[in-house]
Amino acid sequence: MTDSLTPEISAAMTRRQFFRRSTAGIAIGIPALATLLTTDGFGADTAIDEKTGGLAGLPHFPPKGRRVIFLHQSGAPSQIELFDFKPNLVKWQGAELPDSVRMGQRITGMTSGQSSFPVAPSIFKFSQYGRSGAWTSELLPYHTKIEDDITIIKSVYSEAINHDPAITFLQTGFQQPGRPSMGAWTTYGLGSENQNLPAFVVLISQANALNPDQPLFSRLWGSGFLPSRYQGVKFRASGDPVLYLSNPPGVPSGTRRRMLDGISKLNRLLAEKYGDPEIDTRVAQYEMAYRMQTSVPDLMDLSKEPESTFELYGPDSRKPGTYAANCLLARRLAERGVRFIQLYHRGWDQHNDLPRDIALQCKGVDQPSAALILDLKQRGMLDDTLVVWAGEFGRTVYCQGKLTGTNYGRDHHPRCFSIWMAGAGIQRGLTIGKTDDYCYNIVEDPVHVHDLQATILHCLGIDHLKLTYKFQGRYFRLTDVGGLVVKKILT
Amino acid sequence: MGEMSKPRDTFVLGRGEYDNKGEKVKPGVPSFLPPMSRDLPPNRLGLAKWIVDPLNPLTARVVVNQYWQQYFGTGIVKTAEDFGSQGEPPSHPELLDWLATEFVRSGWDIKAMQRLIVTSATYRQSSRASRELIERDPENRLLARGPRFRLPAEMVRDNALAISGLLNDRIGGPSVYPYQPKGLWEEMAFGEGYSGQSYTQSPKPDLYRRGMYTVWKRTVPPPSLTILDAPDREKCTARRAVTNTPLQALVLLNDPTYVEASRALADRTLRNGGRSDHARIDFAFKLATARTPDPQERAVLLGSLREFRSLYRHDQANASKLLSVGETKADSRLAPRELAAWTTLASMILNLDETITKE
Repeated sequence: MTDSLTPEISAAMTRRQFFRRSTAGIAIGIPALATLLTTDGFGADTAIDEKTGGLAGLPHFPPKGRRVIFLHQSGAPSQIELFDFKPNLVKWQGAELPDSVRMGQRITGMTSGQSSFPVAPSIFKFSQYGRSGAWTSELLPYHTKIEDDITIIKSVYSEAINHDPAITFLQTGFQQPGRPSMGAWTTYGLGSENQNLPAFVVLISQANALNPDQPLFSRLWGSGFLPSRYQGVKFRASGDPVLYLSNPPGVPSGTRRRMLDGISKLNRLLAEKYGDPEIDTRVAQYEMAYRMQTSVPDLMDLSKEPESTFELYGPDSRKPGTYAANCLLARRLAERGVRFIQLYHRGWDQHNDLPRDIALQCKGVDQPSAALILDLKQRGMLDDTLVVWAGEFGRTVYCQGKLTGTNYGRDHHPRCFSIWMAGAGIQRGLTIGKTDDYCYNIVEDPVHVHDLQATILHCLGIDHLKLTYKFQGRYFRLTDVGGLVVKKILT
Repeated sequence: MGEMSKPRDTFVLGRGEYDNKGEKVKPGVPSFLPPMSRDLPPNRLGLAKWIVDPLNPLTARVVVNQYWQQYFGTGIVKTAEDFGSQGEPPSHPELLDWLATEFVRSGWDIKAMQRLIVTSATYRQSSRASRELIERDPENRLLARGPRFRLPAEMVRDNALAISGLLNDRIGGPSVYPYQPKGLWEEMAFGEGYSGQSYTQSPKPDLYRRGMYTVWKRTVPPPSLTILDAPDREKCTARRAVTNTPLQALVLLNDPTYVEASRALADRTLRNGGRSDHARIDFAFKLATARTPDPQERAVLLGSLREFRSLYRHDQANASKLLSVGETKADSRLAPRELAAWTTLASMILNLDETITKE
């Protein structure tokens, strides 16, 4: 514990002051007192910012962004159909992918047995939009409205070639499980701006496409070796929005209030005897739990949103649990100061029947993604909210399975994929990165996953080299041993 | 499992890729640790013998430190997972040495080691302390008071089940599927054709088995345990963080496991706790905290009980709903509204800091 904090728990303080401070000044799930006293047994050498529950001294420099909305497109969308226009591919339709392009690079076991690797051009049309003239697929008509608000990066690459390690890599900076997720690192560093909601919220939506989904894993929003209070809290569309949020049947709110009053009285009597500040913290946490029982349903209740909101996000936004509804919820969470809002939308793993499935998937994703940007913009929130739209890798130019004029599939391709980012110090209407004519290798501005992570933290005022945590004798960071901020895309 | 007659060649793999073979390597122990005797076979048997060689100082120190951590919340070496140069030095080095040599001397008698620790004067100290002492030694590294820390996740649950009388203490057997919110496995599932994609709750006697028998699906671990800091089992965890969060309060107040345990505790109290409110309150409180409430505490509990009685007196509907939580049926001979009031009081008792804290 640092000297500067010890006076804060001086014996001169009355219990009442002590208690009042520990309820008012701390973030949900981040009891400052417990951290001050390092009763979780970790992080004894780090000082805590009392207002947010984050680390003292953070942000490292004035931030552009205060929060992140990460729209993860789980399963890996095809860059060739969406953002990376390759007009020449038509000429090579059905021709073998040249060895000079593949260069003996590793491919997955799902296609390594194929005798042929025929080039499959996209059957979807591209046009240029906005002042930026970004090429956009006909699958994304609503994206044409935001081309001048976002930066498209066509040159992101990953080290992992399968979903589980690749999503884990993107979310935690390491392919093997056990590291904290980006949201956990962020809330560990910056704490919370809302007393009544978790700082790190996760929303999941199911595929629009017909192919079977890849599974998700709760470790993707886990806290790894960070204390468990930094793990993401999943908000659900059915049942309790937050697990165990509702009172049991037969316990009305008034009864619960009286229970909490009784528990609180007894715990305070105990605190007088034992002097253990953990007891005071527990009293505060029970009060926060009670407040969450109001604040979460209020957040989830869309009935007061005007008609124009649903028109903007599309009809799906009225159906709880859809990607559209989750995009709208993301905006509501951002409005309430939630630090890290992580969406997962499943259904992009299109090994076969790609044209059919990507069209279905885009129908579910295009309008709400664009709506979120427009909505944040009209509320003046895009300036301090970073939005990231990304899958875990890209897809191959060669066809998986049988190639016909109208149907094909694509395998996993970690060597290049397209993502976009917007808001919070990201340039508007910019496209960076180039891939070769086959959309196979990057030829300009490669952006490693660690670079992307370093850039996200940078937008929040965090130096990714300095946000570390010591575990098992080593200082760890989100970007492992890599990461360069992509300065080119910053304002 | 036996050793292969001719062990397979093993290589350092460049960047971990299976086809990128580098230097050929042989079995051995890290060079900074005591060397392995040449008489030992270079296989798992040799490794096991090296680990428990009485002359190997590390094993016993690490093990007794783990035991100490379980009883005191913090090990003599706080970084229980790291005794190396990056770890913390022991707070009481001679004590650690002595416990380690005693452990070896006793023939690695685990039970004797537990007895030695729990019968020590240090462990038997009261956990009560002045604010001043807590300020001077917030983590109790100097052991001037007894340990005080929240129980681990599984024990919080086992404790509530034991207090209520529901605990099934059968040992061994396959994992069980206790209460869990609906749809958790399904929303992250892979689809048909794979196993373990849907969750089917266990029948009654299995619902009340100890937390350690709860089935563990690593991609969707049981939330009522992970919320209370049970590790997700994605990495080796030699010590758990102990956090204190609102989600934990929601579990203890609203998870059917604890609501049902409250009713069972109320049931048990009304049947066995004497005739008067006073005696019954003392009975329930003592089951949960191993002590009798003092007059102030008893007054608070009596006050709450009266409030709950008046709330449920004219509310048969809510009383019935509350009593219907869980698979075990409420005792029909008890008046439902009175049982509902006591269930609410019992829930309060199960939620007390003292109930879920080891002191």
